[in-house]
Amino acid sequence: MSRIKNQIRRLRFDHGEMTQEELAQRAGCTRQTIIALEQGKYVPSIELAFKIARVFGVALEEVFQYEG
Amino acid sequence: MAPLQKRAWWGLGVGLAFTIAFVLVFVLMGGVETFDTDQTFRIIINVIWIGGLVAHLVIMDFTLRKAIVDERDKMIRDRAPRIQWIAVIFTLAAWVIGLNEVYQETSLIPATYLYVMFMSVLVASWLALSLGIIIGYWRANRNV
Repeated sequence: MSRIKNQIRRLRFDHGEMTQEELAQRAGCTRQTIIALEQGKYVPSIELAFKIARVFGVALEEVFQYEG
Repeated sequence: MAPLQKRAWWGLGVGLAFTIAFVLVFVLMGGVETFDTDQTFRIIINVIWIGGLVAHLVIMDFTLRKAIVDERDKMIRDRAPRIQWIAVIFTLAAWVIGLNEVYQETSLIPATYLYVMFMSVLVASWLALSLGIIIGYWRANRNV
């Protein structure tokens, strides 16, 4: 399991129950990648991490946390 | 299922279908001896393997240009050639060992086998690419 945790699922619901598909489209990735991210099975590149944070309008650290 | 994963399954299915067709036609029409003498046989075989190659290119390349392929898909796709490489080496090894064992006494291997070897390596290569992508997604999804 990755040490990088994320709040994507919570943030989606906080943003009007945004669907995985909508987030994927706005971040420029596939829905499968969003699913993998939410399940902690994939660690995104810095670029994708910033794109996701930008979709939610929050800082990167609010979406991703390193639990080292 | 991601677009790349879907195409990999299609690529594997179509590749297997062409491989089975190729082997069946080759065996049923007389094998290596007939291949040397019968032009119609050669044309049919060429149509099958070139058709398979074109079908694979269409599935894995042209149709994929319209689909979303993100960084995770690219990572999986970039790792697939490792399995392709192993498949090519094992296919060549099987041919070398097999031909050597069968023709050791005469020391004469029919030249047609060069052609068949090339086609089989090509087929193994494209099947292994699809398989590599499928395995890549399977490993990525169980990475917990």
